Amino acid sequence: MKELLTELLMEDKTLIHVPFGDGFFDIYHSVVVTWIFMAVVIALILFLTHDLKVHNISKRQAALESAVLFLRGAVSGMLGEEAAGYTDYIVTVLIFIGLSNMVGLFGFTPPTMDLNVTIALSVMSIVLVEAAGLVKKGPKKWLKGFAEPMPVVAPMNVLELVIRPLSLCMRLFGNILGATVIMELLKHVVPVILPAALSLYFDLFDGAIQAYVFCFLTSLYIKEAVE
Amino acid sequence: MLNISVVNIVCTILNLLILYIAFKKLLFGRLDEILKKRQQEIDEATDAADKAIAEAQASKKEYEEKISFAEEEKEQILADIKKQGYEEYEKIVDDAKKKGEQIITEAKHNAEVEASRTRDKYAADIKDMVIDAASKIAATKHSTEDDLSLYDKFIDEAVSSKNG
Repeated sequence: MKELLTELLMEDKTLIHVPFGDGFFDIYHSVVVTWIFMAVVIALILFLTHDLKVHNISKRQAALESAVLFLRGAVSGMLGEEAAGYTDYIVTVLIFIGLSNMVGLFGFTPPTMDLNVTIALSVMSIVLVEAAGLVKKGPKKWLKGFAEPMPVVAPMNVLELVIRPLSLCMRLFGNILGATVIMELLKHVVPVILPAALSLYFDLFDGAIQAYVFCFLTSLYIKEAVE
Repeated sequence: MLNISVVNIVCTILNLLILYIAFKKLLFGRLDEILKKRQQEIDEATDAADKAIAEAQASKKEYEEKISFAEEEKEQILADIKKQGYEEYEKIVDDAKKKGEQIITEAKHNAEVEASRTRDKYAADIKDMVIDAASKIAATKHSTEDDLSLYDKFIDEAVSSKNG
């Protein structure tokens, strides 16, 4: 058991070793997996969008349109009217995290199980949140926003700049790591049938939920920032 | 698993941005174009339909006006025709009356002429007979009886010739 955890947590993540820089430039497993599913997703998009028509649409196009409109509708509902311009980015993040969580089904290690990926995602989120506020309110009002509702809470508001992305990053990382650890343990105890059933929950359901939670919170922060 | 590598974080951020750009360009951009075109067509069709309805209503109104105008015109024409017919009737009756009067006048005149002619003829006949009788009387030797019988004969002749 301890060996398993050690193996999972301390395994060498390096996939592509760069001969200079003393390991600084090494490319990790997670990034390569991301590249693979990005290539697949882009190829899929190219296939799905190669023959779009205005009339007499194919079933493929109808499915694509309704899927995109559904995702957009859900995300823009979370963002609200004022921040509707960020819908496309949030949809992208939703798909990115969702797929990252689900590549476990295909035998890959989920990229979101790597802390670096979740850090990157949360850094992007907090930068976007603050940028949205800055663009909407202007520098002066944005700075004043830290002293609201009263100047006493200003340190808390500044701390939020760190706490928010940290909570986003750790929640995602912890959930996916936890799910993977449980699945690995389960595979050791019951090698057949049960892992398949629980995989539905941990890989598909939990993965989708975590992607949704991440996007929901980011949307909420953006919505708050532009109000 | 827990070590943090700046290069990998940057790589992931780049991946995310690349994926975002790919989604934006390849998926949302293309799809939006189609949706926009479709929306445009729908708007155009709706506009055209609205326009057609407005046109139809305008022409309907125009026709209704025309129809009511035609009704008035019909009344007018009927009234005119009636008036004209009445006048014509009056004229014809008038003409007939005049003609009848004329005919009556002419007939009266003709009758008068005929009557005077007949009268003249009788007068001439009587005159002849008188001359004839006078000459007969003058030519014969006569007594009172003869004279009386002659007068009777003359009167008989005159009556029979008038009746005959």
